[in-house]
Amino acid sequence: MKLTFDPEVEAFRTEFTRWLAQNAPTAEEIAAEPALGSAHLPAWARAWTRRMFDAGWLVPGWPPDRGGRNAGPVETLVYLEELMRAGVPRTTNPQGLGIVAPSLFDYGNEEQIRDYAMPILRGERSACLGMSEPGAGSDLASLSTRAVLDGDRFVVNGQKVWTSGAAHADFCFLFCRTDPAAPKHKGISVLLVDMATPGITVRPLAEIVHPERADLSEVFFDEVAVPSVNLLGRLNDGWAMANGSLAHERGMVWLRAVLELEDDVRRLIEQAPARLEEVGEHERAVHADRVAGSYVDALAARALGYRGFAKYVRGGSAPEQALMKAYCSEARRRVCLVAAELSGDEAVAVARPGHLREQECSWIERYFLSFGMTISAGSSEIQRNIIAEKVLGLPRG
Amino acid sequence: MDLELSVDESALRDNVRAVLSGLCPKSVVRAVYDGAAPPAELWDQIVALGWPSLAIEERHGGLGLGFVELALVAEELGRAVAPGPLLATTTQFAPAVRELGGDETSARFLSPVAATGSTGTLAVAERGQWTADAVQARARWQGNRWIVDGAKSAVVDGATADEIVVLARSDEGLGAFVIPGAAVLATPRTVLDPTLPIADVRLDAVAVDTDRVLAEPGSPHVEGAVERVLQEAAVAVAAMTAGACRHIFETTLAYAKVREQYGRPIGSFQALKHRLVEMYLAVERATALVYYAALAIAEDATDRATAAAAAKAAAGDCQRLLAEDGLQLHGGIGFTWEHDLHFSLKRAKAGDALFGGAVAQRAALAQLLGVRAAGVEEVA
Repeated sequence: MKLTFDPEVEAFRTEFTRWLAQNAPTAEEIAAEPALGSAHLPAWARAWTRRMFDAGWLVPGWPPDRGGRNAGPVETLVYLEELMRAGVPRTTNPQGLGIVAPSLFDYGNEEQIRDYAMPILRGERSACLGMSEPGAGSDLASLSTRAVLDGDRFVVNGQKVWTSGAAHADFCFLFCRTDPAAPKHKGISVLLVDMATPGITVRPLAEIVHPERADLSEVFFDEVAVPSVNLLGRLNDGWAMANGSLAHERGMVWLRAVLELEDDVRRLIEQAPARLEEVGEHERAVHADRVAGSYVDALAARALGYRGFAKYVRGGSAPEQALMKAYCSEARRRVCLVAAELSGDEAVAVARPGHLREQECSWIERYFLSFGMTISAGSSEIQRNIIAEKVLGLPRG
Repeated sequence: MDLELSVDESALRDNVRAVLSGLCPKSVVRAVYDGAAPPAELWDQIVALGWPSLAIEERHGGLGLGFVELALVAEELGRAVAPGPLLATTTQFAPAVRELGGDETSARFLSPVAATGSTGTLAVAERGQWTADAVQARARWQGNRWIVDGAKSAVVDGATADEIVVLARSDEGLGAFVIPGAAVLATPRTVLDPTLPIADVRLDAVAVDTDRVLAEPGSPHVEGAVERVLQEAAVAVAAMTAGACRHIFETTLAYAKVREQYGRPIGSFQALKHRLVEMYLAVERATALVYYAALAIAEDATDRATAAAAAKAAAGDCQRLLAEDGLQLHGGIGFTWEHDLHFSLKRAKAGDALFGGAVAQRAALAQLLGVRAAGVEEVA
């Protein structure tokens, strides 16, 4: 074990921070045209993605023709650390870059990679992920959006829900049922669906705290015609892609979760002394205990995450990585609540409306927003089932 | 930052685990619970293997390894619920001699530990407070030596250690002395975990010659050195606690897979699955923080104080959950003296009680982080 990275890794970090200082979009540029959702590509974001792609900094672990430089996992880790430290978003379409593009490289043919994956990497197109349905949330394999092959096209009917970025996405990575007679895991396929296709209706869902925030949508498909060449991989092979997609998603999402948690705890610790001055002696001790507990939570997230990462780099199994999603999202929720309760009657305050960045919301608003992470992408309860069965080897119920 | 054990570190841990499972099966632990002394051959073997000398510098006859290695050994001691003087000697006495004293005292008091397995401990706490501030034991200069008076609480191995490092203060400030175990009045406590014996220690006008002074009262380095020693001791106890908790977890998990009710293993019920995942998370969380803190101490990082407090706090959180759910999930069998589970439960509880529990650690953290000014509540 050691606290530092090797000199070559630090040299890589320096190279990136130098490039970043000269090429990153400025805070003013970003503020002038904020991203309105998780598949919205403002002009600065398109240009920024393109600059990273051209310089090999978009996905450092990939080869140069895919916007990378064949970097190893430790280099990728320090790259992400530095992006977070600089406060620069890597992309405004995280699911496109993090899940859809890698899945296309895994399963797509040459044309699909050319027309769908590469435009994401150049900041030209954005993608959303059509998974959850009203009747298929945690039990995704029960999805019922139907695609029927009819000559050289599929006809799609059905409904998705909780689709991030659907209002701005150029295309959808759509999971749909292509064989209703097969067992539920064996009749699912993935289609690449242009969101401008007639028959698609997107209805944004106003979010719990600020209704003008509406990144999640319902998406209705009514007799939507999709060219059969837009089938990804083999027919009825979609379940493997669903698992593959989430594996990409869980790849290094933990690091962002750790750094954001640390950021929140840092702000809580900054705000705490002034507030503690105002409360009575007994309350003060309890609040101080909770604030210190939040610090332990955040340092533990870092230690767990980096320990799991070190195991992964050595090629061993890293069960810590399975724990990170539930742990970090729940720790984040606890921190927001500790901070909100410490703020006394300020806890009922609402930040000014508008397209708020999360950090601009009040703590109690952020507490409610934090449920986004404990519910989506495999709820905390599903995570526990997975860990119990896959890591601890407990029998299925 | 690399928080996975290196090849050498895991080899050491595996070796310690294998040796302890051979020399210290639960039947040995049970014998101590039933009143037997810890078997002499256990300590003889540990000395022969060189474990007491692991982190003693080579010029004093040790192996020259660091605190990470000590923490790994402490974790295994907790896992095995091993009795014996290794924990206090290596993670309390030796660090105190090294940090507080100079070369001469290190040569005098650490060489016998490395060479012959001489034992030691650290007497710091008074009335349950594990901080330098709480020390009220007095040292006064008389003629050509120091006279020490005071009462220390909860000294690990306090009735049996060959040498005891005692913190006491004069009007000039805090000092540290090495006092022979035979020179104090030790009252063994009747404790929950007899494999980790604890004594209250009285010093009635104990005369200390100058060659047994680690740090003259008021020496400028004492306060900082005491903090560093307490960090090592606390993280070692946290490692021991995490080790005991890992054993509780593994035992409970194995039981949940074989115990059947309603025609299926109880581990297939979701209510229990989720609790087992919570236990697993708590153990991994405490272990990861213990390793991080051990590294921070070994590399003398700037955040070693907060890292140590966080690790001890997490170990405290961990034992709270593991002792509770470990016992509950075992059902009636875990409630019996005959089952081995209670050895680990009690070692885990002892681990939280020594060197400041989770609540005390968070209070210390609040001050270290500047959340709360020191001494605010002492006004009343």
